[in-house]
Amino acid sequence: MISIGVQTKNVVYDSDPAAGYEMLKKAGFSCADFSLNSYLPNFSLYQLERNDFFDRSEAELEQHFLPHKKGAEAAGIVINQMHMPYPVYVPNGGTALNEYLWNTVARKSMYICAFFQCPYIVVHGFKLAYNLGSEEMEWAQTEKFLDSLAPLAKELHIMVCVENLYNSIGGHLVEGPCCNAGKMAERIDRFNARHRGELLGFCFDTGHANLVGSDFESFLTTLGHRLKVLHIHDNDGVGDLHQIPFTFTKTRENTASTDWSGFIKGLKRIHFDRVLSFETAPVLSSFPQEMKEQVLRFIADTGGYFCKCLSPFPGKTGQSL
Amino acid sequence: MLAWIFDEEGDKRILQQEDKRLEIIVSPRGIVDIERPGQGVMDLSQAGFGQAMLDFTMCCPEYELESVGKRKRTSRKRPLVSEHPEKLYDKVRPILDRCTQEEMSLPAAYAPYPCRDTKREDLKELLIRLTEECIRICGRAGCTSLIVRPLFSGVKPGDEWEVNRKYYLHFLDLARENQIMILLENQCRDQNGHLVRGICADGREAAQWVDRLNEEAKEERFGFCMDAGACSLCGQDMQDFTCSLGKRIKAVILRDCDGHTECSMLPFTCAAGGQSLTDWLGLIRGLRETGFDGQLILDFSDTAGAFSPILRPGLMKLARSTAEYFSWQIGLEKLLRKYPSIVLFGAGNMCRNYMKCYGQQYPPLFTCDNNQAIWGTRFCGLEVKPPAALKGLPDTCGILICNIYYREIEKQLEDMGIHNIEFFNDEYMPAFHFDRLEG
Repeated sequence: MISIGVQTKNVVYDSDPAAGYEMLKKAGFSCADFSLNSYLPNFSLYQLERNDFFDRSEAELEQHFLPHKKGAEAAGIVINQMHMPYPVYVPNGGTALNEYLWNTVARKSMYICAFFQCPYIVVHGFKLAYNLGSEEMEWAQTEKFLDSLAPLAKELHIMVCVENLYNSIGGHLVEGPCCNAGKMAERIDRFNARHRGELLGFCFDTGHANLVGSDFESFLTTLGHRLKVLHIHDNDGVGDLHQIPFTFTKTRENTASTDWSGFIKGLKRIHFDRVLSFETAPVLSSFPQEMKEQVLRFIADTGGYFCKCLSPFPGKTGQSL
Repeated sequence: MLAWIFDEEGDKRILQQEDKRLEIIVSPRGIVDIERPGQGVMDLSQAGFGQAMLDFTMCCPEYELESVGKRKRTSRKRPLVSEHPEKLYDKVRPILDRCTQEEMSLPAAYAPYPCRDTKREDLKELLIRLTEECIRICGRAGCTSLIVRPLFSGVKPGDEWEVNRKYYLHFLDLARENQIMILLENQCRDQNGHLVRGICADGREAAQWVDRLNEEAKEERFGFCMDAGACSLCGQDMQDFTCSLGKRIKAVILRDCDGHTECSMLPFTCAAGGQSLTDWLGLIRGLRETGFDGQLILDFSDTAGAFSPILRPGLMKLARSTAEYFSWQIGLEKLLRKYPSIVLFGAGNMCRNYMKCYGQQYPPLFTCDNNQAIWGTRFCGLEVKPPAALKGLPDTCGILICNIYYREIEKQLEDMGIHNIEFFNDEYMPAFHFDRLEG
């Protein structure tokens, strides 16, 4: 059965997690994408800096996240997916930082994921094609990292999901790791066969796909059953803005410049029945704080609309996709 | 060797060192007036372009196709090609004649196509008639390849291959008769003003299309033209795209854009913060990997159109140098294979990049440097010698300058009476290593 979820970032805070989950439930969500990446921000890692959050022991981390777990349970919110901090490899980051990311942050993230009884954790593939010379060599490094996580994933009953990413060429965002659906389907199958279990899946990020002009329907159809989680958000095709679907237009007709019709068709073709999860935290910081509940409700309603479109017997939905 | 940018002697040296198999072709759009082609063709010829594209879209542009049959024409003096495809030859004749006069050949051509955002579904028959005319004219003009965009408007999702299979095979006999290779091309799709990947934008699928068409043709009558601009507009990994198609790529359209707006700019002119917005590294890596030796079609129509006609001769020369630079970068390993032995000049990052990427396959005898303090030391496995050591080298040994102060060092070596001076460049290496030398 299809559910609707959203990031916890900008809603759920350590100071009073229960209130955040309650707000999500009230807005119409039943699931949440736990923003574990917020605890080790990517911008600081790119500056070769890190905080000491993941220096805590597993027991201390569990203690830290216990109010979150209880708060979500009390509100009836299921943590269905979470985002591992990224990047997990920083070119020019040096051995100490990269070993810490790989061996400490990644592994502890897996334990936190298991603590939440969350079935999926989304990771970023390494961005190394420029340095190593090809996307294949880049994937080989990502695969080494995934291989290192596989035994833990099996033990903890977690599926690791890689998502389609972008690279920047002078500020022009272009195809990055995991953007070729055909290759990714083959790689996921090979990985799972090698590890004798369904340990690797895919997270389709609509915003990233839109930035690099991917054909949504074809991408989703090619992935098929390997698609486990979603990052739903919109942009203008230029910047990674993480806005609400249907926000952007580019013509006088003012029709959506993102292919939401292809998105729905693709999900329908593969009989997607998991969580429609929105990665729209920036919307909450751009609207006034006083409107947070209304904005969340609108995001959930947009999810509800997608839900109707995906239903085998859709009612009248107003706008035709 | 980059000296062609600055002197004619250098230019000749480069052309000799390459196999001359990669053809540099210029698109006349934005430069040559179809009715008065004299000055434009002359500008191109004087800039050193010996080959131009026969661009039929100049005679029958997108906007004309979009309005065909829609508007009442007030003037009947000039028949529109879209209404009279049989007039295409008359329309293109001035440019054909002028190119003949300037001894400029026309090895590649582009058939008319509709706008990317067209809603018209009634243009198929007209496109067929126009393309047939193009093939006949190509045959007469000695043109060997014709780019024909796939049909998309009115084609139902899922029917793309079958509709286009019939469309392309329709031209098979005529193409064979006129000795033309038909090139499919990667397309953008207009998603309400946002250009995304369209037909043939998936390299693997496009390769299958070409193979299946050739199987049906029972000969290699179909190939692929990679439009680098369309790839950039769709944010594609150009290296991956190129490698997916491999030797099926017979032509590459070299044009720059900002990644969002459909336009054809001179490469390296779309930049921000001192960085190009197009993935030239991916394109060059891909074309090197696949051993591309086809047609390199430079299209900078929007840059040319924006420049004053007074400035265009200078722009044409820069454009020619830019195309040659790409040709040189794509064929960089040809330079390394040219001499039985080589010596490097420079013991810094560029030397190190050479050694990391090519040192095993093309090992230099030694390197030399002007820095006296490092003479007699070893760098990346090479002995560092003073420049005077170059004097005793055999005539067949090439000297590769591995330092960005190319021209200054070149002059130093020429003053020493050294020959076989070449430039090495590490801007587009097969790989880049993480650690750089300090200082």
